Parts: sequence; structure tokens; C-alpha cells
Amino acid sequence: MATLAQQIVNGLVLGALIGLIALGYTMVYGIVQLINFAHGEVFMVGAFGAHFISLYVLPEGVPWYAALPVMFLAAVAVSVVVAMAMERLAYRPLRGAHTLAPLITALGVSILLQEVVRVFYPGATAPLPFPRAFPDGSLAVGPVTVLWTGVLALTVAPLLGAAVHLYVERSRLGRAMRATAQDADAARLMGIDTDRVTLATFVIGGVLAGVGAVLYGIHYTQIDTAIGFQNGIFAFTAAVLGGIGSIRGAMLGALCLGLVKSLAGQYAWGGAQYDYVWVFALLILVLMFRPQGFLGRPERVRA
Amino acid sequence: MTLDDAKVLVDAPGGRHANPARHRPDLLAWAGAALVLVGALLPWAAFVLPGGAYPDRATLQFFDAPHLVSGFRLHLVLLGLAGLAGRARRPAGIGVVVIAVVHLAFLIGLGAPSAGGPVALVGGVLLVWRRPAVPALSLPLPGRVLAWPALLAAFAGLLWLVSATLTAGGQSRATNPHGGAEFLAFCGFAFALVGVLSAYGVLTWLAALTQRHRIFAFTVMLACALLLPVTGAGTGYWMTVASTIGVYAATAIGLNIVVGLAGLLDLGYVAFLGIGAFTAANLAHSVPFPVAALAGAAVAGFFGVVVGAPTLRVRGDYLAIVTLAFGEIFFRAAQNDIGGLTGGVNAIPGIPPITLFGQAFNQPVGALPGGFLYYGLAVLLVAAAMVVLVNLKHSRTGRAWEAIREDEDVARAMGVRTGRAKILAFLVGATMAGLAGAVFAHKLGTVGYESFDFSESVTLLAAVILGGMGTVPGAVVGASLLFVLPEKLREFSDYRLMLFGLALILIMRFRPRGLVSSS
Amino acid sequence: MRTKGTAVLTGLLALGTILGAGACAGNKTETASGGSGCDTSKGRLVIGVIAPMSGKLSAIGLGIRNSAQLAVEQANQKCAVKGYQLTVDAQDDEANPDKGAAAAQRFADDPNVVGIVGSYNSGVARAIQPKIAGSKLVQISPGNTDPALTRGADFATAPKRQYDNYFRVVGTDDLQGPFNARYMVEKEGKKRLAIVTDGKAVGENMATQFAAEAKRLGAEIVIREKVNENDSDFASVLTKVKAEQPEAIYVGSEYHVAGPLSKQAKDLGLNVPISGNDGLFDPQFIALGGKDGDIATSVGAPIEKLDSGKAFVEAYKKKGFSDGYGGFGAFAYDSANVLITSIGKVTAKADWTGAPAQRTELIKEVQGYRTDQGANGTVGFDQYGDSVNKLFTVYQVDSGAWKDMTSGEFEAK
Repeated sequence: MATLAQQIVNGLVLGALIGLIALGYTMVYGIVQLINFAHGEVFMVGAFGAHFISLYVLPEGVPWYAALPVMFLAAVAVSVVVAMAMERLAYRPLRGAHTLAPLITALGVSILLQEVVRVFYPGATAPLPFPRAFPDGSLAVGPVTVLWTGVLALTVAPLLGAAVHLYVERSRLGRAMRATAQDADAARLMGIDTDRVTLATFVIGGVLAGVGAVLYGIHYTQIDTAIGFQNGIFAFTAAVLGGIGSIRGAMLGALCLGLVKSLAGQYAWGGAQYDYVWVFALLILVLMFRPQGFLGRPERVRA
Repeated sequence: MTLDDAKVLVDAPGGRHANPARHRPDLLAWAGAALVLVGALLPWAAFVLPGGAYPDRATLQFFDAPHLVSGFRLHLVLLGLAGLAGRARRPAGIGVVVIAVVHLAFLIGLGAPSAGGPVALVGGVLLVWRRPAVPALSLPLPGRVLAWPALLAAFAGLLWLVSATLTAGGQSRATNPHGGAEFLAFCGFAFALVGVLSAYGVLTWLAALTQRHRIFAFTVMLACALLLPVTGAGTGYWMTVASTIGVYAATAIGLNIVVGLAGLLDLGYVAFLGIGAFTAANLAHSVPFPVAALAGAAVAGFFGVVVGAPTLRVRGDYLAIVTLAFGEIFFRAAQNDIGGLTGGVNAIPGIPPITLFGQAFNQPVGALPGGFLYYGLAVLLVAAAMVVLVNLKHSRTGRAWEAIREDEDVARAMGVRTGRAKILAFLVGATMAGLAGAVFAHKLGTVGYESFDFSESVTLLAAVILGGMGTVPGAVVGASLLFVLPEKLREFSDYRLMLFGLALILIMRFRPRGLVSSS
Repeated sequence: MRTKGTAVLTGLLALGTILGAGACAGNKTETASGGSGCDTSKGRLVIGVIAPMSGKLSAIGLGIRNSAQLAVEQANQKCAVKGYQLTVDAQDDEANPDKGAAAAQRFADDPNVVGIVGSYNSGVARAIQPKIAGSKLVQISPGNTDPALTRGADFATAPKRQYDNYFRVVGTDDLQGPFNARYMVEKEGKKRLAIVTDGKAVGENMATQFAAEAKRLGAEIVIREKVNENDSDFASVLTKVKAEQPEAIYVGSEYHVAGPLSKQAKDLGLNVPISGNDGLFDPQFIALGGKDGDIATSVGAPIEKLDSGKAFVEAYKKKGFSDGYGGFGAFAYDSANVLITSIGKVTAKADWTGAPAQRTELIKEVQGYRTDQGANGTVGFDQYGDSVNKLFTVYQVDSGAWKDMTSGEFEAK
């Protein structure tokens, strides 16, 4: 029983961290129907941005409650700048081009960003220890322990998810986003600057990825240049599981993915070595019987 | 590339069109061409560099031996001359700029002052800037008497270009320290060459000729491919790389059927290559290669149907993730040595080379380099895959696939049995990949799970898209680029993958429909 | 629009080439400064290096490349090979067998290449071996630990040399794993052991050998689990391990998995020592979360206790490489020195032509090579091409730093 409860908590923490990346995937997809494989790298550069600020800019001995906000800001700033640059320089020129061309561009961006960080960031050829910018130790509820960093992730991720949801539902820009997602041409005719909307979507994705990167770093205490790709695939899977284009769905999908990975590793056949297999098997099953994911809309007939 | 500019109507009535209007002589452009010619003959590096003399010597070659202009200087002279002609001005200018910038950057890095570089660079910029507004020529299509020699010459030229590109900059960085710069500069020249030909409508003309004399062109192309080992690129190393390209190209052609023709995005395709390879590896010691290869193809085809089955319910990008999931499941299963079939982390070692008539394929034959036979096998494999693709593309099934790609609902409404067609696409594609996998296993001598991870699927997809989706030579061009480029960029050590990523972005930026696009 | 596009293209291309060419040039001056004052009239000889220099393993690969580079530069300064200048040609294999095989073929084709230092991954070596066997190019690996590479699939029962041109300077999994097990069970007195591996060959094989010896000594393997090599989240696996109440966890992987795993275990309340092979023995292990009491075994005597080892470390630091020598730099340095000494002997008899007969002669010289002055102590090869240096050292984290506990040879019982 204790093991089960612990595994559920483990899964939820992983899910919350993946969820923040998945939100970026799902929003970009919703607006421009682009699987932005390079979104994981936005997350990765954010982590390195925070690492940089903490190691090279902040003076030593800064208490964690002062350092952490600065690291969040740095990560968000780096992620947002990279996400914007990506949109303006790599994707916008391809708008309206063949649907798969941006996919290869995304791939090129992904390789480029990973290699730039690996070659130019000092020490990034190997995993780097991430600064411990949060109280060590854990919250113990009966036999279950959760690191304080895990508690932070479990609090921040759903809150941010809800905030984004509200923003998209209520704000003016959010309405423009939904309009663009439904029909970009019609939105343009209605006077919506779809280029701006798309850029704003990338910015929001960047903010979430930046926040997620710091949460990830302080929780797992190490970062490397491959974290973007690996977690990007998970996030993409989560986004599809929840119904790509749906904000609530992405969060739900991510939590579900975390739970399945954690519980399958414990109880399913083959043990932890097959946990990925169970995640993907579940994905296939869900898509077979509910092709639009948990909360997605059935796919429109494309023009 | 300027193929876009070359959108001329070859099949327009009469084939000819009015000559472009005469232009006033453009003195600045001529000055640019002259500067390029002068720059080519000036000294490029003022002294002998620590790693050996600069390519084509650093001294005042003009006084030394003016008629012995070779290497990049020869390219500059040719481009300068081409720059005198109006149409060729822009591509020639771009070529000059690339050559000059590459060499200059390299020389600046070494701290060597250069006289020729800046002069040629200015000339090149002038040429690019003063481009005239003239449409590309459209050439008439000749009869067979002229067409066959023309095609022969064209493919011989292509063979030369491929061989020259592969050998540009030499084989080894240790023995030629200027190799990286030489290779990039050669790329600039090759780009300009293709651009000039395109500006004069030669490429479109050749494409039309190839289309008209399909069988002849195909035979010549096959012969040219088989002749590569007797050119300068006929080393064991390039044979190894080229047979790898062949294996991936054949797989990519299979993927082209699934993605390019039927429009079903597959992100886990390398699994079929893996299934073929593991099947052949398991059978390698018990049955002859052809049987093992067929078994590999059959097993892969079976799994193709399994993976294709969800297409009946899942569509579009959702299908992409289902295939990604299958790919990951295969990868994990192989890593964990499922059923004792994959060797797990220790891979399957010691797969014997293919042997035919007592000749092991990894041994050299006569003066031909080792690995030549694998190369030949790979070429035949690709050729066979291309024949299958062409025939399917123009068949009833191919039209059904293209209808599904354009609009599945409409296709179904028009009476296409979409479910059957989609599964058939997966079956055919996977079978091809399985066959390629069998060659892969024997060629490498070992098969392990790490050869089939997600990034390999992405590489295959990139090959299809870079080359041009749904086109016949596209997958081959794409696969060649994806394997040759990283090999040649080895000269740049740490920056190699970075440049590769940049190249992907740039190619998609300027050729979003792929290098070989079907209009 | 088109003009603008062209301008962007040209700009980016220029940027890329300047970057690349600059890098290229940087390497050039490095190599060129080596051979001063020696007779190099007979030309250049190349030592090929094949290692993963990009991607996740690049820290290891770059350490291997730099160390080989160091050995070559020292040799050039000492005029170790009369009449020739030595250079290093380092090729990135991306830890991919196919890429490694192509690079090896390139070396085999080139008569100026005298031998290969590499690869790091056993999987890459499996693909390289058949490629270069025909041309008799000698290969010395600083990192392959799969016993099957030298002694065949039945290495334990019926060892048989696989390729006469293949050598390695590292100890194999079937020695180091059991050595570790013996220490854990006999010295540390741990009877309930858990095993976590990362699904890569080294870790898996080492763990299998560890488990066999531990069981033989009466310990119990309570659970064996595998994590993904790219994972950072081990909470789930560790929760499962914790339920079995082990007294220690053997981690078959490298420091980037084992370090965080050690911390996450402690965070979960599973405060038991982590033990592992030489992949853990890196200062980064502690920075990434390794805790006091964690144990690692490593090949050879402690480098700081050997004069030759200290000299290597000092020379490496002096060169100011941007990357550390990593876990395998010292082995690469030793491998390169084997090649340098042997080629010196071969070229003393006749000028180098690169003909198979001469390459075979080089293989014989390598086989007969022996020194006690390597960066890792004794360097030499047995009849299978394995290292004769079967010495291992146990290290333990003590007050945030590695401390050597004991050294010894492993002999199977």
C-alpha cells in the first residue's frame, strides 16, 4: 500500500513536469498545426539559462528564495527569446509551405540548438549539476515522501496550466488564438493579426518551458543537452494522449503518462525496463478507441 | 537553387519562345567578372602555412605558371567567364562569393593575409548585385539521335560531379589540413554550376528528356552508379559510406510510398529496417542469403500490416504518434532481447559476409576496392526499389494512394477502398525496408538495437522530405545528402552536427518541397 | 523577396563557414606546433582516433581524443619516431556502429595511418573489427570492456582469440564486476543486494558478472531493474527497490545515472551505499548527488599514486584542453604510446609503406609491448589481446571526495 501511494506520487511529479512542456506542444499545434519537435530544446536552453545565471552571475551565498526567482526569470527569458527567434527565423518563412517541411526545419533547429549549447556552454559536453535553489529534504505523509521540489512542481504546474487555460478562454489575445486555431484565414479576414497570435503562442510556450526547466533542474539536480529531446518526446506523447490542441488535455495526458510509467514499472510484466513500452501501448490503445485523445475534438476534414 | 526560376514551359507549343530582350551592356557587372578573373590569379595566402602549402600554392601563380590554373582557382576563372553572360551572372556570382568567403574565413583563421580573396569577393558581390532580369531559356526537345548522347553526357557529368564532390578536400584531415575549406568551396562551385545550367534551362530540358526516354535514362543512370568505384571516389571508405546510403535510400523509398504517396506520416519506420536486419541475422548461419533476405522482407511486411492496422481508425498526426509508439516499443523490445532474438545489449555479432560463387562480398575484387560488391548490391537494391515505386506510382493503386493523400474522405466517396490501400502502402513499404535490413545486417557484420532508435526514423523521414516527397529520385538524393554531408563535414570536428542542423534549416527554407520537387 | 532571401542565405552561409573554418584553423595550429626541431623528412604518420565526440558521451570521447593528442605531441617533441612527424586524426563515431565502421574503413584505406586508438563503445568495436581485419590495421581500445571482443562468445569456458590486430588496455567486465562483488560481500558485509542498470552493454554485462560472483559468495540479489539511459527520474524504480529492503545497490551504469540515483535513493529514505564500476569513478559523481559511503571500482592503481600517472595528469592540465581527460583519457594516452613506441621500432628497420606485411609487423611489436610506466601502471597484452594489468582499486566517497580503499588483482576461484 505504501509502495502504491509512493508510486502514485512519483508518477504525478513526473507528470507535472512533463505537463509544462506538453502545454507548449499542444498550443503551438492548435494554432499552426505544427509538431514543433524543437520545443523540447526550448525547455533545454531554459535550464541552461538558469544554470548560467546561478553559476556565473549571482554572487555566492545568495539565499535560495532570492536566487530562485532570478533563475526563473533567466530561464523564461532565454526560452522565450529562443522560441521567438525560432518562430520568426525558421518557421514563419515556411508558413503555407508543404506541411512536412516545417517538421524537418524543427529537426534542424533541434540539432542546431543541442550542438550550440554542447559546444559553447562551458562543461556542457557532460551532465552538469544544477544548483540546489530550493530547500533540501522532503515532506513525509505517513510512509510516503515527496521532495519539497516535487511539492513545488505539483503546485506550480497545475496553477500555470489553469492560468494559461483562463488566459486563452478569457483574454482578448486568447480569443484571437482560439479564432486562429479554428480557422486562420477567417481570423485574418476578421482583422486578427495571425502572425502576432502565432508569435504570442510561441512566447507562452517558451514561458512554460522556462518555468518547467527550473522546476526540472532543482528536482533532478542535473541537466544535460539531451533533456530536451527525451522529455520533448514524452511531452508530445502526453499532448496527443490528452487530445492535441486541448490545454486541459495536455495536463491530463501528462499526469496520466507519469502515472502509467511509474505504476507499470512497479506492477506490470517485465518491470521498469518495459515501462516505456506500456506508456506507448496505452497510447496506441487510447488512440484506437478514441482517436482524438481524451479531451480533443474529432479531427476536422481538412480542406 | 534556382530551379524555381527555370519554370519554363518545355511542352509549350513550338517549344521555343522569344529571345529575351537585348540589354544595355552592364559595365559594373563586367567589372565584377573581371575582378573575379584577376582575383583568381592573385596570391591567396601570402606565405606557406604551417600545415603545408595552401591549395594551388600560395605564391604568385600568375607569374609562376599562368596556364596551370587548377583547383579552386580554375573554378573561379570558369565562374568569372560565366559571369560575363547575362543569365549565368547570379548563380556564378553566388558561387564566387561562397568560394571567396570560405577561403577567406579559413585564411583569416590562420592569420594569413590574402590578396586574391577580397578582390574575388568584391567581384562576386558585383555579379550577384547586377543580375539582369532575363527568364531562363527553354530548349527544344531533340529526337532520339541527339537525345541519347545528350543523356549519356549528362549522366557522365553527374557521375563526375558526384565523384568530385566526394573527393573534394582529400580523404584525410591529417594529410590535407585544408580539406574542409576545399570541400565547402567546391560545394560553392557545384552550386554555381547547377545554377548556371538551370538558368539556361538545361536542367528542365534534361528532366523532360529523361521523362521521355525513361528506360534508356534509367539504364544509363544504373550504369553510371555502378561505375562510381572506378572514379576517384572508388575507395573502400566511400564504398562503405555509399553502401550504407544505398541501404537507407532503399528504406527511404519504402517510406516514400507510405509518406510521399499515401500521405501517412510514419515516425517509427526504422523498426522495419531493424526487423529485417534481426531476422536475417538470426538466419544468417542456417540459410543462404537470398532466403534470409526474403524472410526478413516477409517478416517486416507482416509487421507493416500490424502497424498499418490502426490507420483504419487513426488519422493524420495522431497516426504519426502511433507509429512513433510502435517504433519505441520495437526499440525497447530489441534492447531487452525479447525472445532471445535480438542479442539485447550485446547485439548479434559475427554475421558472416554474403558469399556468392565463393566470393565474399567484403573482399576486394581485382583492383576494385573492398566493399565494392556490397555497393553494387546496394545499387541494385535501390534500382529495384525505384522500379517498384515508379510502377506503383503510375498504377491504379498509386492513384488511390495519391487520392487518399489529397483527401481521404473524397477518395472514399469516389469509391477508393481506403482501408485496403493504406494497409497495402504499409505492407509494400515495410517489405522494402525489411529487404534493405537484411543487406544492412550482412554488410555491417553485427546488428544491435542502438542502430534503430528514434533519430534514425527521423533521418529516414528527413531523407524523404529533403529529397522531395513522392518523387522517384527524391529519397535517394535525400539519403545521399544526409550521409555524405556529415561525412564531409568531419573536417569541422566539433562544429559538424551544428553545420548539419543549419543546412537542414536552410534547405527547407529555400526548397520547402524538397530538392527534387514534382511540380 | 527573392533578393532578400538570397541575402539571408548568403549571410547565414558566411556565418556558418566562418564558424567552421575558424574551428578548423584552430585545430591546425594545435597540431602544427608539435614537431619542433626533429627530422621529419620522411613525412607524416597518422594515428587514427575513433571515439564518440558528439552527443551524450562526448565528455569521454573528447578526453580520449585529447589524451591521444597529448601523447602524440610529446612524442613529436622527443622525436620518438625518427624521420616522421606524427599526427592525430580523430573521427567522431557518435557511438553508432555504422559511423564507426565507415571511419575505420577510411583509416584502413589510408597507408599513412599506422593504427587506431578506439573505440569507446564495444558495439562500435564489433562493427570495426571485420572492416579492418583484412588490412591488418592495428586497433587498441581504451574503453571496450566486453570480454567477447577478445575471447569470443564463450569467453568464460572456451576462450579463443577473435582478431590478431585487436588489443585493449582496459580490464574486462568479467573481472571488474566480480571484483566489486567480492568487496561488497566480503569486506562490506552486504548480503542483500539490489541491481539497477541502464540498459547499455557495459553496465548490463558488469552487473551480470557482479550478480554471479555475489551469489557464489552467499549474498542474495533481491531485485534487478533497468532504467532508461536518458532518464533522470529514478523515483519509480527506487520505490520498487526500496520495498525489497536491500543493504546496497549495485548500479551498472555511469556517473550521470549513478550520481542522481544515489541522491534520489537517499531522498526516498533508502539510505544505502551505491556501488558501481569505473563509470562511476569521476568527481562529477559526487557533484551530481553521490553521497559519502558510495563505492566505485576502477581499473589499475590509483593514478595519483603512480609517478607516471601524475605526470600524465600534470601534462594534460598544462595543455589547457577545454575538456577534462575523463574516465578513459589515461587509457587512450597509454594506447597511443603503445602505438608510438611500436611504430618507432618498425620504422627503425624500414621506411613505412603501409603495406599489409609491415602492418603485420607492427601488430607483432604491439603484442610484445610491455611497460610499467603507463599512466595506469602496467601496460601489456596477453595471448588474447587483453590487458595484462588486472589490477583494480576500490574507491569510496569520503567527506565529499573519492578516497582509495584497497587495490588488488582479481583471480577467479
